[in-house]
Amino acid sequence: MNEEQVWLDEARQGDKAAFGKLIEAYQTPVYNLAYRMLNNAGEAEEAAQEAFIRAYTRLDSYDPAHKFSTWMLSITSNYCIDIIRKRRALLLSIDEPLPPHPALMSDNSKGPEAQVVMNEQQEMVQALLSELPEDYRETVVLRYWYDLSYEEIAEMMDTTVSAIKSRLFRARRLLAEVGQANGLVTMNDSMVLTAVS
Amino acid sequence: MEHEETYLLMMDALDGELAEDGRIKLEAHLRACPPCLQEWQAIMVVHTLLQTTPALSPAVDFAQRTFARLPNRRVRIWTMAAIYALLLLGGVLPILLGVWLAFVLGPVLSEPTILSSISQSIGHALQVMGTVVAALLAGLGEMIVQQPAIVGWLLVLLGIISIWGGVSRQLIFQPAPQQIS
Repeated sequence: MNEEQVWLDEARQGDKAAFGKLIEAYQTPVYNLAYRMLNNAGEAEEAAQEAFIRAYTRLDSYDPAHKFSTWMLSITSNYCIDIIRKRRALLLSIDEPLPPHPALMSDNSKGPEAQVVMNEQQEMVQALLSELPEDYRETVVLRYWYDLSYEEIAEMMDTTVSAIKSRLFRARRLLAEVGQANGLVTMNDSMVLTAVS
Repeated sequence: MEHEETYLLMMDALDGELAEDGRIKLEAHLRACPPCLQEWQAIMVVHTLLQTTPALSPAVDFAQRTFARLPNRRVRIWTMAAIYALLLLGGVLPILLGVWLAFVLGPVLSEPTILSSISQSIGHALQVMGTVVAALLAGLGEMIVQQPAIVGWLLVLLGIISIWGGVSRQLIFQPAPQQIS
């Protein structure tokens, strides 16, 4: 039995400290997913916290046959989609200026130039993601940041593998289209052909 | 080669699942088709951008603050156990009571005189209820005749509440998005 399973068993019996260790282990993936989906630091933090609370209160429904990370990410993405729908219901536009993620403003571990470049990259990625419908965005985020297989993503999103492939395919083309429109394309032909192989 | 086939090869290439013959086909097509090459360029740039963008971490005290918000699971477990026990007792107790009463009172209640008095009592109770309901309906009828404006306003209010209920439900509960396949 690995460390994570021990924590899960203890947490299931009501040991908050054991679940605290799971929070520490999964805080970055859960928060990152929430931020990529919601594009707002405050909402992302609230969503990530709520996802952990939901997971803790629903631990009995967790099936150990599946990965805990997948279950946790599934709770997070479902909660984020609920928020996006409520946001839409309140007629708020996601295009309005949003506060940047704190990590985009200060990070002492990198030099100032590298930090600026990284901030620009993060902003560019968020701008691109915000152009996608939420189900496409979710698919892209799960595929690129969590390296989940098509089967895992399909299971999380309660759909078929072919639907996920199709979504990712359309999302990539849509992102490429937006990237082209924003002058993002800078590779030369030889680089591109090398990338094929 | 058709463009659609090219797109499929592109996706395989991005997923690292492109076989040798597919790679040769794709390269050949990209060299011969400038629009596809341009699209592949754009897709590759976005793909690389996404692949190289690190995950964002929450604030340093995130785990601590989340931990502080966790409910007490032990209390919850005991509360749920108590509720289930009560529900179980609430369901089982009346059955046990009914069986016990049937055994104790069964022989007494089956006496013909007692049975006829019980049926008479039920008949009287139904008569009383009928009188009360008839009086209430008569009163309501009189009010409708004498105060039509009040009744009209009540109907209008009910209509408004029902319409706004529908509108708010539409605003708050959006229909689930259709799966795109």
